[in-house]
Amino acid sequence: MISLPPSERDLHAYVDHQLLESDRRVLETWLAAHPDVAAQVHAWQQDAQLLRASLGGALQQPANPDLDPALIRQRIQQRSRRHWATAAVLLVAVSLGGVGGWQAREATQPPLLPMADAMQAFRLFAQDGIMPADYNVQDGGNMQAWLDRYFNQAHRLPDLSAAGFTPVSGRLLTTEQGAAAMVLYQDAQGRRISFYIRPPGPENGFLPRGSRSADGLQAQYWSGAGYNYAVVSPADQPAPPMLKF
Amino acid sequence: MHALDEQLRELIPRLRRFAVSLTRNASSADDLVQSTLERAITRWADKRLEGDVRAWLFSILYRQFLDAHRRTRRYARMLEFFTGRDDAQPSVERTVIAQSTLQAFDQLNTEQRALLLWVSVEGLSYKEVAEILEVPVGTVMSRLSRARQALRQLSDGEIASPSLRRLK
Repeated sequence: MISLPPSERDLHAYVDHQLLESDRRVLETWLAAHPDVAAQVHAWQQDAQLLRASLGGALQQPANPDLDPALIRQRIQQRSRRHWATAAVLLVAVSLGGVGGWQAREATQPPLLPMADAMQAFRLFAQDGIMPADYNVQDGGNMQAWLDRYFNQAHRLPDLSAAGFTPVSGRLLTTEQGAAAMVLYQDAQGRRISFYIRPPGPENGFLPRGSRSADGLQAQYWSGAGYNYAVVSPADQPAPPMLKF
Repeated sequence: MHALDEQLRELIPRLRRFAVSLTRNASSADDLVQSTLERAITRWADKRLEGDVRAWLFSILYRQFLDAHRRTRRYARMLEFFTGRDDAQPSVERTVIAQSTLQAFDQLNTEQRALLLWVSVEGLSYKEVAEILEVPVGTVMSRLSRARQALRQLSDGEIASPSLRRLK
């Protein structure tokens, strides 16, 4: 039984047809004698009615075939079959690994290309420019001094001023063998060349002097004083004169 | 033919309507319905066979919407952090006086829209709504009361700025 005067909750329950039949009748009698409350209840009823009417159209949308339950069920099954297939492949790989894993590893690893990391660094920092520099040459800063903090007795930075290139910024990088660094040179036209220095790799060790190009970049590389070095520049740019060390 | 599919098929129009009222965008609404159906189909076996399928589906859809909404907002904040600006425009719609009940409805917050749709349009019981929102029935009733008042005020244009009112 509701008590009179009705609480606001009772009024809402009345609007939402959630009162017991007996309570509903009691409330209706009471409302008839209280026109101000009845007006408010009527306004709520009207809002609900208008809302039902204006949202009614949303039920009449043209069907979307992607939402068909049978189709969705099929997609779910396909997906789980793929998961099983992946799991099966992994299982085969693991059992192969017991016997031939080591040889397989040797066979599948591509031979390391010299200074691939130097070229990758150039792409990331000089071409895409997505990371800030660790060190910028401004107002007489000394790039060589910065580099010497990390690499003892390494070869001096190449002097490329004859070709118009001066050092502008430096980045520290890591390799599996330890710290590496890239120094970026720029000329008046905004063209860029990098000098890259890293510890010798495990497989490639020290490098014979050489050069190679890949994916639009050219690299000269050599070893000395305990480190490997590379000079990287875009292939469409005249290469700096072969450096002498 | 699966028994659930028939029930789902019948309820799809209602799910789509609910999804549109949450997302305010037909195509993301259908994405929402699709992921709701996927979840319903995979979870059907675990569902306790009591209660209304419709209320169960509404609750899945509502949860999915809230999760997606949270992710989007986190993404927006991240974007703001990286680009240093806020892409979310101040909502013009909030200051506009509603011309119709539907416009007033669209200006309510997510939970108020869901509540009014469940109760006034779909006719779910307070108890079912309480289960969806995982709150007591009394809380549902007081939130519903607030949602109704808000809808009333927006429909009447009472939300119009008070300073304008005082000029009259």
